[in-house]
Amino acid sequence: MAVSTRRLQKELADLKKQGTPVGIDLLSADNFEEWFLSLEVLGETVFVGEVFCLRFRFDSSYPISSPAVQFVVDDKWQAPMHPHVYTNGHICASILGNEWSPVLSVVSVCVTLQSMLASCKEKKIPPGNDRYVRHAPDNPKETRFAYDDDT
Amino acid sequence: MQATPTMQPAAETRVPTVDDLRVKLCFICREEERYDSPEDPPRAWTHPCQCTLVAHEACLLQWIKAAQQDPARARNALKCPQCGASYELESDNPHPRILRILDRSNALLSIAGKVVMIGGLATVFVSFGFGLYLVCTSYGAHAMQSMVGKEMYDILLTDEPSNWPWHAFVNLPMIPISLVLSRSPTFVTFPLLPLIISWPSSHPVPTAALRLGAASWSLFGRNDGDPYGPILGWPPSPVMAAMLFPFIGRLYREQYSKLKHLIMGTRPTQHEPVRNIVWDFGGEGPMPIRAHIGLRADPAQQRQQQQVPAQDDAPAQDAEGQEQQGNGQADEPGVAAEHTLRITNASLGRFIGGALLMPTIANYMGSILYRLARYSPTLRTFLAIRPPLLGHRRVPLLAPWLESQGFTQMSLLKKVGTSMQVALNLVLGGTRVWYECDPVWWRNSIGLGIFIVAKDCIKLLHLYLAKRDLETRRVKSRSFAGVDLEELDLIHPPAHDGRVLQSRNDIV
Repeated sequence: MAVSTRRLQKELADLKKQGTPVGIDLLSADNFEEWFLSLEVLGETVFVGEVFCLRFRFDSSYPISSPAVQFVVDDKWQAPMHPHVYTNGHICASILGNEWSPVLSVVSVCVTLQSMLASCKEKKIPPGNDRYVRHAPDNPKETRFAYDDDT
Repeated sequence: MQATPTMQPAAETRVPTVDDLRVKLCFICREEERYDSPEDPPRAWTHPCQCTLVAHEACLLQWIKAAQQDPARARNALKCPQCGASYELESDNPHPRILRILDRSNALLSIAGKVVMIGGLATVFVSFGFGLYLVCTSYGAHAMQSMVGKEMYDILLTDEPSNWPWHAFVNLPMIPISLVLSRSPTFVTFPLLPLIISWPSSHPVPTAALRLGAASWSLFGRNDGDPYGPILGWPPSPVMAAMLFPFIGRLYREQYSKLKHLIMGTRPTQHEPVRNIVWDFGGEGPMPIRAHIGLRADPAQQRQQQQVPAQDDAPAQDAEGQEQQGNGQADEPGVAAEHTLRITNASLGRFIGGALLMPTIANYMGSILYRLARYSPTLRTFLAIRPPLLGHRRVPLLAPWLESQGFTQMSLLKKVGTSMQVALNLVLGGTRVWYECDPVWWRNSIGLGIFIVAKDCIKLLHLYLAKRDLETRRVKSRSFAGVDLEELDLIHPPAHDGRVLQSRNDIV
């Protein structure tokens, strides 16, 4: 059994046992390659009342390698309008790139993204969004983002 | 907190390790191991940092390895993601120092590779430049030898570069460049000026033989007179000539230009003639590369052209007059021949090659003059031909001469005065070498001058003939020999059977 499978089994078991944090729900985890979770930002934020869907894709070396995480954009779901989220759902967040570490998990990524959205003051799409979306690869991990340091 | 336990028994003060945990949870694979149910086979656990995270050693090593391979993550590879403490790696490597040396030398080699790469490129550029420098310098030496003659060349320069004075290394490579530049209209200088300017005051190359000779002279107490030549001797000292040549050159150019305008029937303009430069490399080849550098129209001339029709008293003819005027300017054969400078491969080669041939030409012309001088004593005097020095090489050096003048015993003021006098005389009169040697440079310069005048005359003749040809050019008219006369509408139609006139008369 691949390391990723054992680890995801553990994570899934923990999720089911302890439940998900507030605003986060497991939509589907039918296999150990692709999970979907819903994300809602609670409290007084610019995203009040909006629910988003996160898609996690894992390769066999997870958690050594980071999961590919993006917002689902289809007829049912929309990506949040946020300076770090492109309209195709790709997310520019350092924890998904060079600051990924195996201590993070599916839930901790969701919580981090939740707080990223919660701290947003103004709904704005990223600069150069159209150009990026036109040429973006299917897997956001193949994009080399330049992370700006804002907290 | 850690300080107090020193008073307590040793067993209690032991700081717990990863092995003392009840449940170990690997932060990487998330698997647990309880102390009361150890795995079989056992896996090593590690606590690498300062927080509560623990991990399987294998998992952590895998993570470190993976992170180190990604340049973007490499700096975080040996850091705890939670507390930020640095991991310390140990190894059973029996020769850690050797590994470290190898690692470092590998890194150094990478840097060295870059240096070699950059260095290689630089070397290519430098060696190209140096090669160019060498070519220019050796050409300069050749030009020098052509110009001053073998005898003086052996005294001043010699074939051995280690004997050369320092300024030779600056001066010689400049010669070809200044020769080429002197031919372009922007730099109106005498082509051999750099040759002449620094060499006359240059001292003989101090070869061992010469030094020995000089020493023996001073031993025998022979005084050869001043180490410099007279300022107003014949031939003029090289520096005098150098001052004179540009002046003569300018005067000649002015007169030549006047003569040319007279012959060609063109009006002299105050500005340089307009040149339409056409780069035409490749010539008639399949893909000629052409570029027009543009017409630098002479603004004064243009204004003149516009004013002429305005002054015309017949306004009706204005347009026509203007057109004629314009056509007249462009069509005038002399102007047309003069105004377009076509730069082709051949012309560029001719331009540069001609410039570089100048010293050789000077040398040839000089030797022709030398031969002619055998038959003419006047020419011999004018050229100041002297017998070669071969038998008695009197090459005085400055130092022995100064000594013989009692330079060391002079007062400071007198020393300065004498030095300045010597320096001035050296600059104006040249060294004694120049004075005593056969002045090959003089007849070569005269020869070159004659050559330039002759060349200009030929050029002028060529231009004149071309102009005459253009002016008097006609298309030769032929008879209708071989054409069927029946098809021609002739005033006097041809008669059948040769009775042309008679039949016409019949009709009339």
